[in-house]
Amino acid sequence: MKRWVVFKAVFFRTIVEMRRYAFNTVAGLVTMYLIFLLLFLGAKFVGGPTFATGGSLEGLVVGYLVWLLALIAYQDLAWQIASEAEIGTLEQLYLSPAGVAWVNGCYLLARFLVTLLTGGLILVLMMLTTSRLLHLDLVSLIPLTALTVASAYGFGFVMGGLALVFKRIQQTFQILQFVFVAFLIAPVGRYAWLKYMPLALGNELIRRVMVDGVRLWRLPPGDLGLATLVGLGYFLAGLGAFGWCLRVARDRGMLGQY
Amino acid sequence: MFTRRGKPPVTAVDDVSLTVGPGEVVGLLGPNGAGKTTLIKCALGLIRPTAGSVLISGWDVSTSYGRAVSNAAAVLEGARNIYWRLTPRENVRFFMGLHGLDPGRHAAYVEELLERLGLRQRADEPVLNLSTGMKQKVAVVTALAKQTPLVFLDEPTLGLDVETSLELRAVLRELVRETGRTIVVSSHDMGVVEDIAERVVIIKGGRILADSRVRDLLGLFATRAYRLVLSNGLGAEQASRLGTVARDVAFRTHGRRTEVEFILPSADKLYEVIDAVREAGAVIESITEKEPDLEEAYLRVVRDGEKA
Repeated sequence: MKRWVVFKAVFFRTIVEMRRYAFNTVAGLVTMYLIFLLLFLGAKFVGGPTFATGGSLEGLVVGYLVWLLALIAYQDLAWQIASEAEIGTLEQLYLSPAGVAWVNGCYLLARFLVTLLTGGLILVLMMLTTSRLLHLDLVSLIPLTALTVASAYGFGFVMGGLALVFKRIQQTFQILQFVFVAFLIAPVGRYAWLKYMPLALGNELIRRVMVDGVRLWRLPPGDLGLATLVGLGYFLAGLGAFGWCLRVARDRGMLGQY
Repeated sequence: MFTRRGKPPVTAVDDVSLTVGPGEVVGLLGPNGAGKTTLIKCALGLIRPTAGSVLISGWDVSTSYGRAVSNAAAVLEGARNIYWRLTPRENVRFFMGLHGLDPGRHAAYVEELLERLGLRQRADEPVLNLSTGMKQKVAVVTALAKQTPLVFLDEPTLGLDVETSLELRAVLRELVRETGRTIVVSSHDMGVVEDIAERVVIIKGGRILADSRVRDLLGLFATRAYRLVLSNGLGAEQASRLGTVARDVAFRTHGRRTEVEFILPSADKLYEVIDAVREAGAVIESITEKEPDLEEAYLRVVRDGEKA
């Protein structure tokens, strides 16, 4: 089984769909930027002239970027699964010899690569808007971002699994996006246990790279190790939950239902 | 068996044992809710059976899923199985890739399939813009393009008009003959099964009622069904006498002409029927041995199954 060919097929489809839904793609980017603009103007209005000092502004830019990536990561798969069940293609995905988890993993990776590009574009717009130049050390940022959003992908697999069983679960998205904000603003420096929460430690490490200009290998090894464990832990737990939901859906003969 | 909390379990397929040999084309027939689709989905691992096992090319679907399913492709739920926003060519490329086949290396075969199913002219148009028949054909092409030795076709002609159905049947027949693939086709359309399958499995209530070669099944009823056309009517007494010789006697009157259909327990009883008609003073215009089609054979098997 050539798994690389499966990835190429999924990536190709992702790009084709993005192109075919070009208006939706552009509208999504504009919405992302507008939300940031509202946050920025609101924070500036409430915080006054002191807001621009002390790293709060940079923190907002980094936090928003990570939140955006995490949001796309966990919502995407669940939306995709619900939509595939609705249009009737989910069973065909399951028929891939590579396994549906691999197919979904490929989809997540394809979306992650696309999100890096769109996220990069939003970042440039945010930097232009705030007149703050952040350190864009890609060698440090790409692995850190991958590790950080890995936990969000774990949630994505959980939501995807729930979508297989319960079909319409979009209401839970609303709740989770606020929970993610809580993880991102968690004071990990003050309470060490918060580092075990998804996104929290990763976001802090990304902030140090982008705001303080610290390179990946200069970050505390303990924190890096923990961020890896947390990211992989949530990711694998999510994958396990997805497998369990898949079994339930197959037992109940629900894969093709919507 | 499907179980849901708070609801009694539903046994969709029960005690089914079936072996399909390489190159065989098997038709699955049965009324709505008979368990045909469930059987196909169990075979493909899309539904986990509560008991029993399924082997595809020797691989157990429950323990070696990837290897088993790499030998099978399927059209399920007709045109719902493809991406309507993608073009036929993009769909085929995607599903081939999903099966681990590099579409670039098999481009010639893809083009051949698109051509044979009459899709080449519109291969770069979103499926959304195509007719139901064409969408169905795209679904068939995506399944065939995977080049698996086993193909399941669940209701491949559902919702198609007669012309498109005949066209698709002709293409399937050709492909079956040329590629020698094993095909399991389920359909409500007896013509599809009669046209392309050499063996038929009739299923009802999740159980197999008949598993026979199409020819043999038709042969069971072939020699004993007759149609008699009389140029005038038949008296009540002679008609009731006919009922004692033959069974399933049916009369149809078209103006002065009467059409009588009946089944005889043995061929020599035909003389008794002719005697009865002669005594009634009726004139025989024609006697034909009625060739039962698959639909008739199917209905009899299902009705006999109900009685049993």
